[in-house]
Amino acid sequence: MTPRRFVLSARTAPRRFTCLVVLALLPLPAAADYLPRHEAAALLQRMADASRRLAYEGVFVVQSGGEMQTLAISNRPIGGAKESRLAAMDGVQREVRCTQTGSLSLVSEGGQLRMERRLNSRHFPDLLPQDATPLANWYGVRLGEFARVAGLDCRQVELTPRDGFRWGHVLCAEKDSALPLKAVMVNERGKPLMQYAFAEIRLGSAPRMNTAPTLPEVPDSARPVVGDSVLVKQLPPGFSRVTAVRRTLPNRPGEVEHWVFSDGLTHVSLFLENSPRPVETVRGQSKQGMIHLLTRQVGPLRATILGDAPWATVEAIAMNLEARGGER
Amino acid sequence: MTLPASQLQGDDSLSALIDGELDDDTAQRLLRRLGTDAHERDRFAQYCAIGDALRGLPDGDPGFTARVMAALEHEATVLAPLRRQRDRRPALWLAAATVAAISWGLWHSDPRQPLPSPPLASAPMLVPAVDATAYVAAHQDFAQAVMAMPEMQFTRVSLNGDGR
Repeated sequence: MTPRRFVLSARTAPRRFTCLVVLALLPLPAAADYLPRHEAAALLQRMADASRRLAYEGVFVVQSGGEMQTLAISNRPIGGAKESRLAAMDGVQREVRCTQTGSLSLVSEGGQLRMERRLNSRHFPDLLPQDATPLANWYGVRLGEFARVAGLDCRQVELTPRDGFRWGHVLCAEKDSALPLKAVMVNERGKPLMQYAFAEIRLGSAPRMNTAPTLPEVPDSARPVVGDSVLVKQLPPGFSRVTAVRRTLPNRPGEVEHWVFSDGLTHVSLFLENSPRPVETVRGQSKQGMIHLLTRQVGPLRATILGDAPWATVEAIAMNLEARGGER
Repeated sequence: MTLPASQLQGDDSLSALIDGELDDDTAQRLLRRLGTDAHERDRFAQYCAIGDALRGLPDGDPGFTARVMAALEHEATVLAPLRRQRDRRPALWLAAATVAAISWGLWHSDPRQPLPSPPLASAPMLVPAVDATAYVAAHQDFAQAVMAMPEMQFTRVSLNGDGR
């Protein structure tokens, strides 16, 4: 079958844009069972704190589409921070270690150990940001059903986005500590896109960590960006730039700029690299619809926007990029 | 041409809003109502979907369609808006007014201005895969997943302002 190519005409494009913008920005309907914002903020903060301030060890399962992975985790609080270790129990031998000084990824493949610094210490169950209270501005929060996960009682906490720029989340908070025992990311129809759940967990114990108090010396492959090469005219509500570094990418020559925009829960990456030839504008989507990508030319640069976010978010960021005057 | 509120009622006003034919005051009033009235919001979504269907446009936003379909499931009757015969000129001001009104009226905690995005035309034409592995791997530092590379599908799209 010959693919049909659709192009919006000058007459229809503004109409369609009006529809998309209005529907994306309309708030969720008023519902009596959504928590007041101050209560929602307090609950989110309690869950965020629990994942860092509690000592626990256990095994959790990650499932996305047809893929499933099991990981062992141990966590203990160190001062106001955490020290955690994740180890993949199937597939490629992989570990993530997080300490106060940073986060490290260790991958053992073909008899070789590869160590890379990570730019972030985020992992289940520590998914909420350190300051989780602003999330109540962008998500409606309500308490759901009681459930049982890994032998512990918990209560579902539903985070419903107030607009079309983020996915929804359903967490199950342990009844006493509020530690998330399960986390499900859902699309606008409530269909699960990715889920984590503890299979077993021991709370309150101070696990013996195999990690050294400090991470091994690994050269930092990222350095801060000096002077922005593009202008982002506008970001979706609640999003701000949380990272801007120059770094190398795995198995790729040369450096790219890697920016990250986030509302605290949703993260979208922007990669900028010199492009000798103008690139075609291409949209990508993962099979489950969780990840969206757009590559386009911005001045002399190739911009790739990628995130586990709705298409509207990636599109809004991509379309608001503007080349700064002059070459870098 | 913009129309004052006195000439519009019910269905007419939603249709005129989409067409960019309302004056600023009426448009802002209607947008505020959409923010508080779930029934009106559902009707607005239906009008958008019906308009796209009548013009044979593809679904460029899966989320949009899903929201509309969810609304349709709860509606017994679907009313198709009458097509106006007079010439309609694109009114780009409506995009700005739309978001400004919503930002002002509904997003008290965020005084941001509208997203001045030009429209995107989606071409459902599969193109050879972009090598996104390195980007996805780098993004993993921030994403929730500690997973294998997801299967991706790519399409060519047209973007107003490309090549700037």
